[in-house]
Amino acid sequence: MKYENIRNFSIIAHVDHGKSTLSDRLLEATGTIDKRNMKAQLLDMLEIERERGITIKSVPVRMDYKAADGREYILNLIDTPGHVDFSYEVSRSLAACEGAVLVVDASQGVEAQTVANSYMAADLDLELLPVLNKIDLPSSHPDQVKKELEEIIGIDASDAVMLSAKTGEGVSDLLERIVRDVPAPSGDASAPLQALIFDSVYDNYRGVICYVRVVNGTLSAGQHVRFMATAQEYELTDVGVFKPDMLSVASLGPGEVGYICASIKTIDEAHVGDTVTDSAKPASAPLAGYKKVKPVVFCGFYPIEREDINQLREALEKLQINDSAISFEPENSAALGFGFRCGFLGLLHMEIAKERLNREFGVDLVATAPNVVYQIVLTDGSIIEAHRPSDFPGQVSITEIREPYIKLSIFMPDRFVGAAMQLCQEKRGTYVGMDYIAPERVRLTYDMPLAEFILDFHDRLKSCTRGYASLDYEHIGFRAANLVKVDVLLQEEPVDAFSFICHADQAYHRGHAVVGRLKELIPRQLFEVPVQAAIGKKVIVRMNIKAVRKDVLAKCYGGDVTRKRKLLEKQKEGKKRMKQVGHVSIPQEAFLAFMDVTKAEDN
Amino acid sequence: MPARSLYIHVPFCERKCNYCAFVSSVPESGERALYLEALSAELSMRAKKHTAPLETCYIGGGTPTMLTPSQWRTLAALLEKNFAFAAGAEVTVEANPNSMTSEHLEVWKEWRVTRVSIGVQSFNDAELSLMGRVHCADEARRAVSRALSFGFDVNADLIFGLPGQTFRSWGLSLREAAHSGLAHISLYQLTPEEGTPWESLGPEELGDGYAPYRWAQWYLPKKGYTQYEIANFARPGHESRHNINYWQNGEYIGAGPAAAGYISGRRYKNIGSLARYAECIKSGALPEAESETLAPEKRAREAAVLALRMSSGICAENFIKEQGLDNYRAVSAAVEKFPHELYEKDACGVRLTKKGMRVANMIWSDII
Repeated sequence: MKYENIRNFSIIAHVDHGKSTLSDRLLEATGTIDKRNMKAQLLDMLEIERERGITIKSVPVRMDYKAADGREYILNLIDTPGHVDFSYEVSRSLAACEGAVLVVDASQGVEAQTVANSYMAADLDLELLPVLNKIDLPSSHPDQVKKELEEIIGIDASDAVMLSAKTGEGVSDLLERIVRDVPAPSGDASAPLQALIFDSVYDNYRGVICYVRVVNGTLSAGQHVRFMATAQEYELTDVGVFKPDMLSVASLGPGEVGYICASIKTIDEAHVGDTVTDSAKPASAPLAGYKKVKPVVFCGFYPIEREDINQLREALEKLQINDSAISFEPENSAALGFGFRCGFLGLLHMEIAKERLNREFGVDLVATAPNVVYQIVLTDGSIIEAHRPSDFPGQVSITEIREPYIKLSIFMPDRFVGAAMQLCQEKRGTYVGMDYIAPERVRLTYDMPLAEFILDFHDRLKSCTRGYASLDYEHIGFRAANLVKVDVLLQEEPVDAFSFICHADQAYHRGHAVVGRLKELIPRQLFEVPVQAAIGKKVIVRMNIKAVRKDVLAKCYGGDVTRKRKLLEKQKEGKKRMKQVGHVSIPQEAFLAFMDVTKAEDN
Repeated sequence: MPARSLYIHVPFCERKCNYCAFVSSVPESGERALYLEALSAELSMRAKKHTAPLETCYIGGGTPTMLTPSQWRTLAALLEKNFAFAAGAEVTVEANPNSMTSEHLEVWKEWRVTRVSIGVQSFNDAELSLMGRVHCADEARRAVSRALSFGFDVNADLIFGLPGQTFRSWGLSLREAAHSGLAHISLYQLTPEEGTPWESLGPEELGDGYAPYRWAQWYLPKKGYTQYEIANFARPGHESRHNINYWQNGEYIGAGPAAAGYISGRRYKNIGSLARYAECIKSGALPEAESETLAPEKRAREAAVLALRMSSGICAENFIKEQGLDNYRAVSAAVEKFPHELYEKDACGVRLTKKGMRVANMIWSDII
């Protein structure tokens, strides 16, 4: 059975192509938000989202629209995060829709995320509605962009909606087209309940709020439901819709989008992608596509002041309530003391977490250089996961090391191809293909180790293409690689905080950079300190920090012993702030700079 | 045990040298008289509680030769009035080559001065003028020989690590000092102190001081001057007893603006400004700006650092008697963390080797 008056759609676009502005215009045009209450990027609720102009959390909104045919429609706009870090969340949000509005900037054309998101929507059988935005700009060239859409994405763009989200021109056309082209949802209200959780948020007062799309059956307050993946049961305390504020309704039927509350304590109980069913009359199978997301990038978070460790723990716990994709476990670094090894969906996710900890929870922290997860095949055939260099077993018990790979697409003007290819090559990329998407625009595809990508790829790509490149990637699994763990030794003692994993071919180069930097940063001691980089027992780089030869504060002014003592005590304080490794005092700055070294100087 | 040492600070200079952070100023009219008057009051306050005859007395500054010979007579009379001196007491005065006159030497000889410490700093004219010293090398030479001719034990202060100083010019100053008949030579490395014109000097301009210091450690003993302390070399029997008292954690009275003292386990420091110092004394109070009595463990660590300045080091027996066995163990354990070539330890105690003295500051800052 069809629910003819409902249209569920999302808007997909490359970053900066005007998705949030278009959402704002739709809210205004349908009268969902009074123009007086309008503020830019209304749906982006987090401070960081507004600041960076990105969307991190999905926010659904229900709009009532009276179409030209005189009928009333319910339009559910499900805003999605645009970044590849959150591609699983995007896929679930898209799975809650029947159509997607594909926004392309008419002056910039098709970019990397345009393609990635379009393919994802197409895979989920969504109706794609191409829209050319920013047609008011003199630099727009809609015909060219239409051609790109047809050639690269393979959709008919001949009747793409032309609009300007800025001026509002074309917005009413778009609304009509949504009603006309996005299929109405179908479902069976009397069948066993199946509702998709496409996002969830934590609210201090109500606990976890799940954003759901009903496929079959109905949801109403007081109902006993089961979350199929976790097999937990709850009684629904509230059911409602977003207008865009939460508004309770009696029930949600097939095709409808809304929220449910059920005194769920932590967000980890409400997995994105899970299916909600009725406890008494459960569905025979969950909806397709559920998976548990796993962190792919790890780094250590340490409080700047060591006493703040508990504050950091509490903040991480609170953040995890909001964002179940973050994982963390305590770890202890020789250099930085107690902290947490945290897992993230990607670099952006990591940066956002770091910034939110700082802003929302007031925690000052040091983040170590990020690293990826490695799979290590041991000689006994078992496979272990290593989240940090110290997880690596001894060289002898390793049969094979595998690292995560990504498929990387870079879109850019063809004059930068040489520089971009050189960078990819340097980053151990494997060339997959190159095609012209327009006379002067190229798509370059490489397979690349994620570890190389997270190091500094994005920044370097930006600088070698002067900011003209856009990129997108997808994870393509693990591949065996000739990787080694390089230990850094001070006075023959390995210092765990300085160990790193890299490709065997780069071990010398990176070892040299790290050792050289440490030699600069570690102050001279009373004895010569050898600094070495070694793979297993084999030393590949060695430098010496020369011993101090003279340090005398000679004069004891007229018997002023106190002054002298205070001077010495000040120096002692300075020493205390250094970390003792064996007999060597290492200043905190050395550890911090080391984190930079892996980021900025090694490649 | 009552203090048997006295330090008098004379806070005047003809001009302030570029490297100096001592309390001193160019005296204005009447200031010297004011100083002597206030000092007299302080001495009588401090002497009241004090009975033992003095073994050592040190009159430093500043520039004590900024007092005129007649003012010196007043000062000597003041001291004689307030204190008894032990037989054979060591009395040292500091002098600047250009302001030290024969009359000064006569007054000192008449009184009971035994040592004269001359601020030679260098025998190189270019270096002297760079430092802002008011004398030239020849004046320094004449001052040394004049003081010697009066039969005093003479010390010369020399500075190394000056901007532009070469290893050769340092070697020449050192050689001249060693051949001048001095009983004692003190070496100081230039330290750019805060609040001096040279405070902003960077390490590049200063050099690391290793070579000149190392050279002195090698050269002076050959010429008969033994290193008995970080900065001090002397012909045997001519060590400064006054300074040794500091390093052996002995007590002493300090008097005069900015002077430091150590009485009954309490360290104090007088008010630096002459005007406020005098005012305070007028009101009948001791003119102290700072005062502290250390807890036993801290005091032990301080004593250890002082003792390690000397080549004789920490004497186990004395240290245990004064600071306790636990503190001795803690201190010697701290020293033993360092590479072996930096210290010696035996039944008598712990001491730094010559090499250890060169890096003494890093060792002390661990022990303190």
